[in-house]
Amino acid sequence: MKIEKEPISGQYGKFKIDGIDYRVYWEEAGQGIPLVCLHTAGSDGRQYRALLNDKKILEKFRVIVFDMPWHGKSSPPENAKVGNYKLSTDFYISQIMSFINGLELVKPVVMGCSIGGRIILHLAINFPDKFRALIGLQSAGHLDPYYDISWLHRQDVHGGEVCGGIAYGLMAPTSPESDKFETMWHYMQGGPGIFKGDLFFYKFDGNIGNEIKKIDNSKCPIYLLTGEYDYSATPEETKSLADTIGIEMIKMKNVGHFPMSENPKEFLKYLHPVLNKIS
Amino acid sequence: MFKSLIDDNEKRSQLSIMAQYLNTSFMISTIENEYLVNIEKGVVKNVEEGPFVMPSYVFKLTAPKDEWLKFLKHTPQPGSHDIIAMLRRKVLKFEGDLHPLMSHLLYFKLLLASLRPVENKNEN
Repeated sequence: MKIEKEPISGQYGKFKIDGIDYRVYWEEAGQGIPLVCLHTAGSDGRQYRALLNDKKILEKFRVIVFDMPWHGKSSPPENAKVGNYKLSTDFYISQIMSFINGLELVKPVVMGCSIGGRIILHLAINFPDKFRALIGLQSAGHLDPYYDISWLHRQDVHGGEVCGGIAYGLMAPTSPESDKFETMWHYMQGGPGIFKGDLFFYKFDGNIGNEIKKIDNSKCPIYLLTGEYDYSATPEETKSLADTIGIEMIKMKNVGHFPMSENPKEFLKYLHPVLNKIS
Repeated sequence: MFKSLIDDNEKRSQLSIMAQYLNTSFMISTIENEYLVNIEKGVVKNVEEGPFVMPSYVFKLTAPKDEWLKFLKHTPQPGSHDIIAMLRRKVLKFEGDLHPLMSHLLYFKLLLASLRPVENKNEN
């Protein structure tokens, strides 16, 4: 049987983030308005495989997904050591802006999920004029720790097994098992301490308090979509965020914390109208 | 309520490969009752129903009976579909030496979920 090729192309590139050299991998497909997608903590860009294959979206959007440094096929920096990875708000913003500037993207749309759904809020506060629109999936302004994240990185527990186990529960029981398995599999492949290091941003450094009030939706339109089965960033938390910003949120039925990856078919039903508005 | 963990079940028999080095005993509490579960090489070997005088176990999962019933539905509602979701809502408590649980987290999630009915019978 002939191989059925997908329209996705992958590339490696080197650029500086905060003055340090990084080798980063990204995938892209389609043409038109740049749509940069940000993956969740401890995973990689494969989460957006369905978007990168969606003909309707690819007609109008150039979908670009990069693996964050230390994730997926992107390298850790020189002199990296196991155990010293900790994602800060500043570094997260820097890597996104460096990638966008490095590819010379003009006024892209940025869509992020989970930690990506949090960082788009920081982007909205700091650089509202740089984006055509921002889309937050599973966005919440802050998250109080509800389990002991030290279990995610300790030498007497297999990191892939425990991170996969955590990710599995964040998905909806109604999502297709094969997509749930693949989503979990990405978590099982993460490096030691990387998921935990990302959660430093999600649960501590990246928490936004009253700063949320600085977001001006008229300067840069923001769209917030949250799956009903997410107990990390719950629909109630997204609603509270949306109320503060003064926008409507979209609650997605039958999906959890990883809509684009755990149940792409369901997710795209909600995303298409949003992208139509943006385009 | 949890006695049937010992029954033959295709889903459960496939789980043992995920916990082939796991030997432990844990307690499931519904507040009004307790179930002591013994696991050898990833296989449930015994489930004893309380009350107990001096039970010996490694860790314990405690939630009110109605919360466990919500978890055990064919299609649980959001917040009841996963033990960490229940932890987040503060209706479930993990106690004891959690190493066997956390090092086999997916196994325990799937083991408990294996008690859900195969068919949806308008339960909600």
